[in-house]
Amino acid sequence: MSALSVLLGQRLRRDRWQLVSWIGGTGLLALFSAAAVAQTYGDYAGRVSILRLAIANPAILMLRGTPRGGGLDAFVFFEIFTFLALLAGFMSTFLAVRHSRAEEESGRAEIVSATPAARMTPTVATLIHGVLASVLLGIVVALAFIAGNLDAYGSFVTGAAVASTGVAFLAVGLLAAQFMRTSRGANGTAASVVGIAYVLRGLGDALGTSGTDGTQMSPAWPSWLSPIGWGQQSAAYTANNAAPMLLSIVLAAVCLLAVFGLQARRDSGASLLAGRAGRITARSVLSGPLALGWRLQLPSIIGWCLGGAFTGLLAGTLSKLVEQAGSADPTVSKVLHDMVQGGGSMHHVLLSVMFSLIGILAATAATQTIIRMRQEEAGGGAELILASPVSRTRWFRDYLLLGLSAIVLVLLSGAVVSGLSALAVGGDPARIGDSFAAAAAQLPAALVYLGVLALLFVVLPGVTITLAWISIGAGVFFGFFGGLVGVPQWARNISPFTHTPVPSSGADFSGALWMLVIAAAAVAVALVAMRRRELRPN
Amino acid sequence: MRGINEIGMTPGASVIEARGLGKRFGRVRALDGLDLRVSAGEVHGFLGPNGSGKSTTLRVLLGLARASFGTVTVFGQDPWKDAAQLHRRLAYVPGDVSLWPNLSGGEAIDLISRLRGGTADRAGYARAKDRLTRTFALDPGKKGRTYSKGNRQKVALIAAFATPADLYILDEPSSGLDPLMEAVFGQEIERVSAAGATVLLSSHILSEVEHLCSRVSIISAGKTVETGTLAQMRHLTRTGISFAAQGLDQDQLSRIPGAHELTVTGGRVSFTTDTDGVNAVLPMLAALKVQGLTVKPPSLEELFLRHYGHEAQGTRGRRAAQASAR
Repeated sequence: MSALSVLLGQRLRRDRWQLVSWIGGTGLLALFSAAAVAQTYGDYAGRVSILRLAIANPAILMLRGTPRGGGLDAFVFFEIFTFLALLAGFMSTFLAVRHSRAEEESGRAEIVSATPAARMTPTVATLIHGVLASVLLGIVVALAFIAGNLDAYGSFVTGAAVASTGVAFLAVGLLAAQFMRTSRGANGTAASVVGIAYVLRGLGDALGTSGTDGTQMSPAWPSWLSPIGWGQQSAAYTANNAAPMLLSIVLAAVCLLAVFGLQARRDSGASLLAGRAGRITARSVLSGPLALGWRLQLPSIIGWCLGGAFTGLLAGTLSKLVEQAGSADPTVSKVLHDMVQGGGSMHHVLLSVMFSLIGILAATAATQTIIRMRQEEAGGGAELILASPVSRTRWFRDYLLLGLSAIVLVLLSGAVVSGLSALAVGGDPARIGDSFAAAAAQLPAALVYLGVLALLFVVLPGVTITLAWISIGAGVFFGFFGGLVGVPQWARNISPFTHTPVPSSGADFSGALWMLVIAAAAVAVALVAMRRRELRPN
Repeated sequence: MRGINEIGMTPGASVIEARGLGKRFGRVRALDGLDLRVSAGEVHGFLGPNGSGKSTTLRVLLGLARASFGTVTVFGQDPWKDAAQLHRRLAYVPGDVSLWPNLSGGEAIDLISRLRGGTADRAGYARAKDRLTRTFALDPGKKGRTYSKGNRQKVALIAAFATPADLYILDEPSSGLDPLMEAVFGQEIERVSAAGATVLLSSHILSEVEHLCSRVSIISAGKTVETGTLAQMRHLTRTGISFAAQGLDQDQLSRIPGAHELTVTGGRVSFTTDTDGVNAVLPMLAALKVQGLTVKPPSLEELFLRHYGHEAQGTRGRRAAQASAR
């Protein structure tokens, strides 16, 4: 067997479950959305009225893309493609960094490079592995849409668009791995590129020009700067134009030229951007487990806060517009009502939709804190701390405080920016209070994540990280998209986000209360159990 | 610095006391009735092959793991229940040091020292840290993720020695160090020991243990197999004697008292004798007018290999049995 096939086999084997969940999950999302659109927006006239509203509403365009007529297939493509492309992008960048920079950072790459595989073969193997994963993802998406009774040819165009976006971001991930010294840095950079591509496309779509019948739209130029935008311009089911996908392949080729050029010149383990030197003495605040946790988590908490602030900006500036659109047509209000529980005025519902996004960011920030705690335990950092006069419970409690602060900061950044931006576009000063109420309503669900995952960490540390990510993914899917894609109510009730109240007069706060009770109980049990728990690095 | 007398410890009182200590991981018994006694002020060597339970024992002593059975006390307290309180008095260097990736070595040293509450005397701490970073030749400005194994170990050692402690628990602390740094490490051990501290040093570098430790315990498969002073340990092994075989016949050789395992190979006679019996052998050797005499003093290595060899043979035996059963 050649070195290449050995390395490729090792990559496939190592990633098999991860890829099954990425590809399977994305395929299920495609299948669900096709089925749900057929069920919820079955008639042509209904779809046309929704699209007219969407075109009047930059927030929806930003989130979804540009519509191309009221046909059922095209409607599904409009509704879900940008999410599928986003998932393909993250799958590819994480895959690329996992098998390149992360391997170099851990020193495993040296062992491999010392064999006849040498320096280039591992990168070639990662490239083939990533392309295979993207192609497989494309095929699964195409089959899911065909299974959802969409046009077969258009479904394969969609699959190809997803796959080409994946390949473009695979190359971006490999390039980021050349530049950054650490896998964290490379993952952050590559994932930011994916995020920027999504936002660029969103801007271009929101600023686009609508066609004469009000159900079609062509995006403005920023969409043409984004691989996700290129995939979208394939206009599957209508124009079925494969040409824009070639841009993704060209981008991938350019990135790969740079990757192999750099790989041939640099030392193993070295990077184009050198790691920065650190301080010789620590700042005086770095004197306890809480300060250490802050130091370790600060970059990601800042990231989640920026996400919260950006969503708050959308919530504040768009509320006026959507309110007008919503009062004009009941279908928009139905779409929004599908995303959150409970009623209330159009304005409150929109604010709740936007703040459930911020709530998801806050819950994810809390989840990452628990994951960090587990990584500290598994990686040996906790051992150094716990061999000092810091008790297990204090160390654990400090991570809970850190998670709580992360949640509050993310929600606050959303509320402050939302309130201020609502004022800036000439909204009612009462919007400030509304923003804070909407943010506070998100607190219980995020606390459930913090408390329950903390308990999981105490009881089953070995599976904490996996289950944490799964619970966030499932919670978002069932709680936020479940209503849109027609998941039955009992399944939606699994997600804490489903029980988040919509603050308005006559709102039902019982779900929030129950979640607070669950979170408090989980934390109490976890704190007691932590006293009896050993450090379990494995 | 907190001295021995201040804390009410008399030399010879036991700082660490473990009896019949056991630790189960599922069905595996990592520790199986281990006994360990470390007295105040001694440098105690803790020897054993890989996987014999050294690190598990140290983790139990630190309260990072809980004993499944048996009793264990550190300074008379339960290390599991009173962990945080006990840790004010001890310093620890793990066997496999991992640092925080985005903290520099200097920051990690400061953090650990502050946690241990040893930085109240700022100037004194700064001096100690500075002295140690220089003698261990560490660049404290590099990020944790960029250090080699040896340098990570230096960070943990500097953090351990920068503030005073009553007990040092060191898990193979010099395994990644070069010979020069091993010597620096030895000097630090001598320094803290002279100041009255107790040291438990797990190692399998026997020369290091022979050089630094006053007492040793050897464990194998989670049990203590030997314990005592170095002098007592040496008694357990024999002195090796060899000389040129030229002109000596079997009859003459058989008259040497207390000779074990006598062989004649490559023109040299070699045998071992009980270390107490060396004096009794010498007159006979003089009478035989032996040439090219060498006397090899007893070493821990032989003792260690004897126990280790046992275990390795056992493993081999099991493997062979499994292989033949297939």
